[in-house]
Amino acid sequence: MKNIHMKIYIILMFVSGIFQLSIFNISWEYFRMIQAVHILSSAFVAIFLLVPYVNKHTYEYMIVKKAKSTSGVILGVLLFMIIASGFYLFLVGNPGSDILGIYSFNIHLYGSFILLFFLFSHARKRKTSTPLVIMLLLIGTSYPNISYAKSSDKLTNIELEAGVDRYHNGDWTSSAKCKSCHEDIFNQWADSNHRHLVGTNPYYMVMENLAGEDMGDEFRQWCMGCHNPSAVTTKQKRTSHGMNGNFMPNVLFDSGSKNLIDEFKTHGNSRLEEGVSCITCHRITKTTSNGNSSYSLDLTNRKKYVFEDSNSDIEQWLSEKFINANPKAHKESYSNKLYKESAYCASCHDEFLPDSKKEVVSTFKEWEKSPFNNPKDPSKHKSCIDCHMTNMKDNKFSPLKGTSTTGGKIKDDIKVHYFSGSNHFLSGLKNKTNEDQTIQLLRTSAELDVDIKDGKIVVGVKNVGAGHHLPTGVSDFRELWLDITLRDKNSNIVFSSGKLKDDGNLNTDARPFMKIFGDENSKPVGLLFWRYKNLLSDTRIPAGKRRVESFNIANFENLKHPLEVVVKLNFRIYPQWVTDAVRRAYPQLPNPPIIMLEKIQKKF
Amino acid sequence: MRFFIKSSLFIIFLLFSVSQILPERQKPQYSDDELRKVALSRNLSSIPSDYESLLKLVDTEENRLNKAKVSLGKELYFDKILSYSKDISCSTCHLISKNQNDKTIFLDALTSKANNKTDCVVCHLSDQSGTDRFESAIGHEGRENSFHLNTLSTLNSALAKHLTWDGDIDTVEEQVGHSIEDPTQMSLKADEVTKRLNADSKYVEKFNSAFGEVNFDNVKKAIGAYLRTLTTRGDYDRFLDGDNSAMSKEAKKGLANFINFGCSGCHAGITVGGQSIQKFPVRDYNSIMDVTNSFKDEGREVGHFGFSAGVYHAYPFENRGGFLGKDGKQLFRVPMLRNVTKTSPYFHNGGVSKIREAVYLMAKHQLGMSLTNEQIDEIVAFLKALEGDIVEYKVLDKVEL
Repeated sequence: MKNIHMKIYIILMFVSGIFQLSIFNISWEYFRMIQAVHILSSAFVAIFLLVPYVNKHTYEYMIVKKAKSTSGVILGVLLFMIIASGFYLFLVGNPGSDILGIYSFNIHLYGSFILLFFLFSHARKRKTSTPLVIMLLLIGTSYPNISYAKSSDKLTNIELEAGVDRYHNGDWTSSAKCKSCHEDIFNQWADSNHRHLVGTNPYYMVMENLAGEDMGDEFRQWCMGCHNPSAVTTKQKRTSHGMNGNFMPNVLFDSGSKNLIDEFKTHGNSRLEEGVSCITCHRITKTTSNGNSSYSLDLTNRKKYVFEDSNSDIEQWLSEKFINANPKAHKESYSNKLYKESAYCASCHDEFLPDSKKEVVSTFKEWEKSPFNNPKDPSKHKSCIDCHMTNMKDNKFSPLKGTSTTGGKIKDDIKVHYFSGSNHFLSGLKNKTNEDQTIQLLRTSAELDVDIKDGKIVVGVKNVGAGHHLPTGVSDFRELWLDITLRDKNSNIVFSSGKLKDDGNLNTDARPFMKIFGDENSKPVGLLFWRYKNLLSDTRIPAGKRRVESFNIANFENLKHPLEVVVKLNFRIYPQWVTDAVRRAYPQLPNPPIIMLEKIQKKF
Repeated sequence: MRFFIKSSLFIIFLLFSVSQILPERQKPQYSDDELRKVALSRNLSSIPSDYESLLKLVDTEENRLNKAKVSLGKELYFDKILSYSKDISCSTCHLISKNQNDKTIFLDALTSKANNKTDCVVCHLSDQSGTDRFESAIGHEGRENSFHLNTLSTLNSALAKHLTWDGDIDTVEEQVGHSIEDPTQMSLKADEVTKRLNADSKYVEKFNSAFGEVNFDNVKKAIGAYLRTLTTRGDYDRFLDGDNSAMSKEAKKGLANFINFGCSGCHAGITVGGQSIQKFPVRDYNSIMDVTNSFKDEGREVGHFGFSAGVYHAYPFENRGGFLGKDGKQLFRVPMLRNVTKTSPYFHNGGVSKIREAVYLMAKHQLGMSLTNEQIDEIVAFLKALEGDIVEYKVLDKVEL
């Protein structure tokens, strides 16, 4: 009687095991349940039933009765190996680079077929146990599926999967959850600009609030489509910020997204993570590259392992083990070929006013027309991630070798998630590495040349490194300018340009490379950039192009030579008047530093 | 062995089948007009849009409203003269702006040369919520409320039957006196108030025309008169007044839920709350076996057991401040839900910061229901419809009732 029980157990484990093979291609809802049932029940059966039974059985036959059975010995060894590899897969997992994990997986898979063969050859009597197997299988597979919420209403430009009109907080898996296995990537992202797009970004919070006041609260959705997809899709009307008692938590200087991690610890997934989280980008299924949040999300059809959504510590630990044991489905759920293409980034890095279609940000369109977009010649083609997600070292692109998952496969070029762009400032307040990566990238962008001719200083700035205009993005709020100092023989300053005024604002003689938006009366829009109707000026430098600025030197004939000219290409992420306004609401906000990108010194 | 397997299979089968077998309770479906009728019959009503109807609700014999009183009260509400250090006014904590027609409050605060607003006020003044949205009220010299109680909104407060968290106060005039004198609020004694106002010729004149003399009682009456006109109207009021399109479909469903589930039993009347004093939480969920409701997602149908062997909590959130309500019996004035979506954090000590969590907890502990995500969505949509703008009444000099 007992023999037959053990056999049934082994067959059940075998069947539930091979159902997980990709050739069966069973639906994910069943797969995840079978996997969990397989792992948990096998562990239970192995420890409490199988091992004690095999011990007793071996003792009874081989020691007491002194029976000799080759198949029995092989069976015993196989069983041991399969149990051992099974526990290894469960407790350590098979994330990729671990050779023992790979061995365990193969032993567990192929060994089980051999085991089954010897199981039948070992047993003397063959009894059919099919009815019981079928019954137990039915019970196993009819385990109630965890259903996800579905209800109704329509959104801005974000499209959701068929049958879903809105998400709930629980659908938006917190990024803090990803940290346990993807720690390096999480930490890169945690202080990056993509993480700090909403409640922890003073400039954004002020601008969204201002847009709400100026255009009506509904207009906030325009900002939120890209900045706060989780809030838009859970139908929130505005972006919120965290509070710690009566105080706002220290969001400017707190590195590693501690607030997010703490919130996840106390509230689990029930508290919404606002902003662009891991799964925002990693669950985009389609983009139309039209800008203004023109992407499709699908949060509900991803493959979740059993207990992945649980808040209990044990169940969460188990879910991680389930993923690690067979991470293929997890990997496929969060990666997509699309993610390597520039068109993917275009869904947010092109931005236009919804009514007039006036282009506010056109980074992707600039790239499309640039020499960087060269699909015919792959050696010259550079997509967004080739610069913005590639590690920098010693002011050069230096692909990072390593793993993106703890214990995962070693890759030659880890796509780093610092999201280096131009905003070194806000991420730099939190983390020097993030700041350093961005500044290194910025310094690859331009080259300077200078000449003095006919009483003029002629400075050329060439955009050599950026696959888009310099500066791009919200280039109405960026300052890139030439700081020029000319000294005569006696080191007296005889000409200067591009210095700061006492209040920190750029002197009016400076010629920043930027866009200036004007309203319907062609007056500069100031903070209210959504009032943009007429382009007043555009002095940015397109990719690969050189822009020349010449400055008249007064009284040139009488200057004592040799003349020494120092030209710096300076960059400031926000003009002083913008920071001053934001500081009214965020008094702890420091002034963004001025970054010198290039410097040239020459004597004439 | 066989018996063991069979019986355990049977038990498993039972556990999973019970929830499928029990019938679902039918929830009534209303058309828009029926919904309005039901709401009105349950004593929910709209805020009047004209001054005459308002007077019928808020005018009292003790404090007859007139233009002089209301404008004097408004002046005092925004004046820092009433605080000991002359650094805070009523409006510092009960945040509204003096000029409701000013639509560039935020832009001005960001770009003006001088700035007299704190960082929070800069952004949140445009909320016009009548509260400061802190977890606990802060008053004179930054002192916090000793029970960690947060500031209640002044909007619509005159329409409530009881005021403050424990409901001990009955009229706005009474509470105005407390707020001025309380050492953790404005901390100014009554005689000092009269002394200061008497020294200000502008106020002496105004008091003379409104009351005849400056005294503390008249200060309370003047500000009380202003508070009595401080009401808000929103989508919900327009819906109750007959405009079917004022509220979204979801919000209407939320209103139906609000009535059907029993929320409106306590959150009743024109203020959607504030009319009675009730226990919170109704059920003691600290017993070892929690059957109040860890219900399945479907709602109130079937419960499963949960064990809560933790320490005793008075509330389903951290008991910061140790406040135990009226007479220490966890009795609270039912909060008014008008503008509730603008007044996070929630509950008396701000223990819950999100509206969805507050709705979930209220249903769970006051009604014994575990709401589904959709039910919460609908109720939150309804609560948003309770948001309103301050009504600008044409206050008349004198009205014969």
